[in-house]
Amino acid sequence: MAQAAAIEATPAPMTGDELLVVEDVKKYFPVTRGIIFQKEIASVKAVDGVSFGIKPGETLGIVGESGCGKSTLARCIIRLLDTTGGAVWFEGRDITKLSRTAMRPIRREMTMIFQDPYASLNPRKRVGFIIAEPLEVHRLGTDKEVKTRVQELLEVVGLNPEHYNRFPHEFSGGQRQRIGVARALAVNPKLIVCDEPVSALDVSVQAQILNLLKDLQDDFGLTYVFIAHDLNVVRHISDRVMVMYLGKVAEVAPRNVLYQEPKHPYTGALLSAVPIANPELGRAREAIVLEGDVPSPVNPPSGCRFHPRCPRFQEGHCDVEDPPLYPFGSGHSAACHYPLERWPMNADEMSRPSSSAAGRTDGT
Amino acid sequence: MALLEVKDLRTQFHTDDGAVKAVDGVNFTVEKGQTLGIVGESGCGKSVTNLTIMGLNPKRNTVSSGQALWKGEDLLTAKAGRLRDIRGNEISMIFQDPMTSLNPVLTIGKQLVEAIQIHRDVSKRVARARALDLLKAVGIPRAEQRIDDYPHQFSGGMRQRVMIAMALINDPDLLIADEPTTALDVTTQAQILSLMKRLQEDFGSAIIMVTHDLGVIAEIADDVVVMYAAKIVEHANVFDLFNRPQHPYTWGLMGSLPRLDADVERLTQIPGQPPSLLRPPTGCRFHPRCPYVMEVCKTKEPALLPTARDPNHLQACHLDEETKDREAAKLAEMAAS
Repeated sequence: MAQAAAIEATPAPMTGDELLVVEDVKKYFPVTRGIIFQKEIASVKAVDGVSFGIKPGETLGIVGESGCGKSTLARCIIRLLDTTGGAVWFEGRDITKLSRTAMRPIRREMTMIFQDPYASLNPRKRVGFIIAEPLEVHRLGTDKEVKTRVQELLEVVGLNPEHYNRFPHEFSGGQRQRIGVARALAVNPKLIVCDEPVSALDVSVQAQILNLLKDLQDDFGLTYVFIAHDLNVVRHISDRVMVMYLGKVAEVAPRNVLYQEPKHPYTGALLSAVPIANPELGRAREAIVLEGDVPSPVNPPSGCRFHPRCPRFQEGHCDVEDPPLYPFGSGHSAACHYPLERWPMNADEMSRPSSSAAGRTDGT
Repeated sequence: MALLEVKDLRTQFHTDDGAVKAVDGVNFTVEKGQTLGIVGESGCGKSVTNLTIMGLNPKRNTVSSGQALWKGEDLLTAKAGRLRDIRGNEISMIFQDPMTSLNPVLTIGKQLVEAIQIHRDVSKRVARARALDLLKAVGIPRAEQRIDDYPHQFSGGMRQRVMIAMALINDPDLLIADEPTTALDVTTQAQILSLMKRLQEDFGSAIIMVTHDLGVIAEIADDVVVMYAAKIVEHANVFDLFNRPQHPYTWGLMGSLPRLDADVERLTQIPGQPPSLLRPPTGCRFHPRCPYVMEVCKTKEPALLPTARDPNHLQACHLDEETKDREAAKLAEMAAS
């Protein structure tokens, strides 16, 4: 069943022009007991069968709460972590099976921007060195060329090229994140995986970085995988959005479709929980407050992983059968047996799925 | 009489580089049952304002002046013993990080009981029963068993609930919440905010809500204070603030926010960064970043004055009302699109 679901789950039919195709990727971390004879007693299923594709120049936003596996997925995509199962096709090659040497040229094509601009820059190295390092690792150019390139990059991300010789601590959070962006850009990658790049920043600085990322995408034709927990930020920057819950895809859709017609009750709950900076609108709507916390990925719930918190839970169906990603047309799919009929909904309507929805297991 | 009246509050930290004026002439009042939101970016002095009111700044290098009148009594000049009576009893505080605000080596129950017994002469049994009631009130499932758990056995949202339970345990008249939901996920944040609203209705406490998130402010506050570089730049009712913001910094904050209720291709960004409080800019502190800057802004500091339309809407900006109304209308239009 799980296998069949995963194949069916392929969100949009792959047309062959994707830059990156992630196919049923799994990442399990072992939980061991004992010091010398370590015995694997369980595994944390951080990512459990995720599939999607990204076209060149597109931005895919991935949202989810802490522990849903979005950062692990990001690390699997650029192979900072080895996957437990599945394949990651980058420009038609499965990079999960490549050797370190074979992987090397591909590392030039995909880079990453990290969340914490304070922890991701080496405090003892000068900014010029930090940005030049990827160029030197890949032996791109002579010392002089590298220096010119670094200064050009500093200018591109809106920093003064004369700050080449400064240390990271001389910069503010926003400026450091610009250094992180410059480093990711240094090798002219095709794909940049951004793991919560603006979460640690103040709103006014956050806007500067978001605008910068958009400008760079226009100028260099970059493709982004953009991970964040802030639904407002993801909506702003993404073309398509994927919602993850406990290691699985709950829903994926083009940006406006997801925010206007969510089908998965979890997406609905997330949207209704986002504070709106508009007191009239915010107070008029009824938040759908989910009970409890995200369960442990060591022992995920049976059937649909969202069922213990779901207001539409139907006993004997949701807790038994893991819902595949049902398609809803135009690249929209959601893993729910009882998808939302319309949006917005109040808590009462949410708790009463129409009986017709129960019949839709054929995936029409 | 207002519950809390803060008058011309100033706090300076002495550092090796000179004096940092972290709070520079702040005035506001909090009435019974009211929620005051304080919004601003990191380093604008919003947290220090509250720490000063509570007398929690390090003594060694801090100088405070002004008044914080708690039911008429000045907290800034109060004796340490008197402050200890008030803290956690009449005024309590919730901090941003629930991971570090609980003692990791004591059970939740012990910490809650301690909070009661410091202020009330009750037996352990009575105190424990009260602790249990509060844990149930904040929605901890299986509270009878969980009361003997240690903080690490709770999730982030649950720990923040425990913090709220602890803050409410002595029925405070004022609850100061410093970024209480910043470290939490959206669904947990929604739980905590609705819990705070409900408890406010039940207990009638006033709340000072400190946050950088305009969305949270819009959801929960009655009155809002916008701070920039240690000063208040705008102070208004929450509906007025969002419908007719009057200060360029507030416009900048609202414009730089990606939001669910509006489609914008490009966010308005406030250029530059917040100034250093060691050497704040002359005149209006926002002038180096302000797109509407005039000559007068560079030399003359604007006073916090009511607008012509509304005596309760205070703002500190030299711009004429016509321009302000036009810009405010533009923002409102953007949000409505």
